[in-house]
Amino acid sequence: MRVLVVEDDGETAEYICTSLKALGHVTKHASDGKQGFLDALDNDFDVIVVDRMLPGLDGLTLVKSVRGANVDTPILFLSALGGLNDRVNGLEAGADDYLVKPFAFSELSARLTALARRPPMQAEETRLQVADLEIDLIRHTVCRSGQEIAVQPREFRLLSYLMKNAERVVTRTMLLEAVWDFHFDPNTNVVETHISRLRNKIDKPFDQPLIHTVRGAGYSLHG
Amino acid sequence: MDSLKRKGPSALRTSIRLSLQYSFLYSVLSALVFALAYWFTQYEVQDWVFDQMRSDAATLVEIFELGGDEVLVDRVDALAEVSFQNARVYQLLNAEGAIVSGNLSSVFKNPLPDYLPAQELPLAGEIHDEVTGYWLRADDVGPYLLIQGAGDHIVLEILEALGMALVAGYLAVVILGLVVGVRIGRITERRIAAISNTLTEASCGNLASRIPTTRNARDDLSRVSTEINSMLDQIKRLLESQEQISNDIAHDMRTPLQHLRQRLEKLRDSPMIRPDDISASLDQTEEIIATFNALLRIAQIEGSDRRERFAWNDLREVIGNVTEVFEPTAEDAGIELTIKVPDEHLEVFGDKNLLTQLLSNLVENAIKHCPVGSKVLVLAETTPVGPTLRITDDGPGIECENRERIFRRFFRGEKSRNSPGNGLGLALAKAICDLHGAEITVSENDPGTTFEINFLR
Repeated sequence: MRVLVVEDDGETAEYICTSLKALGHVTKHASDGKQGFLDALDNDFDVIVVDRMLPGLDGLTLVKSVRGANVDTPILFLSALGGLNDRVNGLEAGADDYLVKPFAFSELSARLTALARRPPMQAEETRLQVADLEIDLIRHTVCRSGQEIAVQPREFRLLSYLMKNAERVVTRTMLLEAVWDFHFDPNTNVVETHISRLRNKIDKPFDQPLIHTVRGAGYSLHG
Repeated sequence: MDSLKRKGPSALRTSIRLSLQYSFLYSVLSALVFALAYWFTQYEVQDWVFDQMRSDAATLVEIFELGGDEVLVDRVDALAEVSFQNARVYQLLNAEGAIVSGNLSSVFKNPLPDYLPAQELPLAGEIHDEVTGYWLRADDVGPYLLIQGAGDHIVLEILEALGMALVAGYLAVVILGLVVGVRIGRITERRIAAISNTLTEASCGNLASRIPTTRNARDDLSRVSTEINSMLDQIKRLLESQEQISNDIAHDMRTPLQHLRQRLEKLRDSPMIRPDDISASLDQTEEIIATFNALLRIAQIEGSDRRERFAWNDLREVIGNVTEVFEPTAEDAGIELTIKVPDEHLEVFGDKNLLTQLLSNLVENAIKHCPVGSKVLVLAETTPVGPTLRITDDGPGIECENRERIFRRFFRGEKSRNSPGNGLGLALAKAICDLHGAEITVSENDPGTTFEINFLR
């Protein structure tokens, strides 16, 4: 995917770009807000990373301007602020996701992948399938190898999020935010516990595991 | 600081200049009023003297009509005779213009002037020494012409007395005005100087200094002083909280940073680098960042007045969500986690994220400290005061002497010293409660612990 990185700190920008390139992505770096805005208008990026504090044009204004110019490329805010309302302010300005510095690259990469592949304006699918696992989003049913599996509502929410992001890595914090609306990190390993419950039902009775742990990053559901 | 110092003397000049201006204005006004009073008095007294002469003439006309020529002449003579020191003078002329009676020896030229200086009057005998002139008046009495004169000494004496009173009063007013004005100016100036000094001291770092205030004073300066004092209180609190954070960071972040450094140094010097060593260092970094974030969050919540994102939230939803997240964890730990909520809405005005974190921290805390087989109950109810949230466990409980300290940053009881956690969970919970105007208390559950949060309506 093509990623525009608007970041004034040289070392961070270098770190993001090099790491993304290593994963096979194409990156472009803009070191100030104005350049970032002009680049964003080209509209040929799959996702944009914007630092909150930028010389020239601050990140919040940049995002508002980009949205004002009808560019709907997904944007991820990168911020060292992390204040009480910063996340909400960022999202209200038009960003799609928010990540506080310092961050792990795996977290950034997972979030960018999730953002970039979000299909624009596509009707919500009602049935999802990965390998022999099938779920119905309307009837809230789970089937594997034609065998119906009873899951609790919270397990269904977790599973459907993993299914929607099949093949991709989802991190602990992404799950906490998307499934439980937890915008902070509890010290206890709640996510691991939930995943292990889900595995007991989805994977354990079958030969091939579908939920995989990605070391140092999170989880991935794939065949 | 410089600007504060510069304001001092200019404020001094302002207050004194104002009071001087008022005194000046007051004295000019007083002078005007006094001049008017003087002029009116003179006019009234003169009028009164002429009235007197007119009524005397009228009396003489009556006397003439009743008694005839002789009685009139006698009476005028008698009047002239009894007039002490020639305070009044009379002259009666017959139809031919000859003097028939009175104490004036020669005839006036026509027309008769209203006023003549005393020395120009044809008068025998001594004159009252304060008389400088006479007011004159002519009246017809039958065929006669009566000329009367009245000495102006009455007017002069009255005016003299009045003038003295007026001048004395005027001086008193001006002096008093000046004294009081300057004094008020001085008092104001002193109070402003006290405010200015306090602000200067505060900006120099002495945040304990306060503007002296009297309890009952309600004027604007007292109000400003009180407001500044409470502002200084707030600044002091904020600074203390910041200082506390610096101390906390120094105290509790150095150790993990030291460990991280040791690991990295070891890695640098080791011939073979194992991925596990690097992972351990990264985990350590994560831990430091988590502690740092938690500290920052507490500071942000404590220093925040920002409630603009507050909204009404149903506490039952928050409870449902948090217990759902922790249920499997509790189950794995062999702890029974139950909730008890009312059927109706339990609205709390606040930040949903923070309320979620508050409950999450308390539930997490309970699960962490309770042994297998314990029960944790999350209960919410409406009391007459407001919604109440209670997290009760039957675990080991908290020692009495620690109950006050558990909400402090980095406080960790002896029992939990070796379990994971950064000792910030309850401090964060307390900060969130404070931001929501809620009261959090901890009490003995016998056995176990109860955390109670009272949201005030």
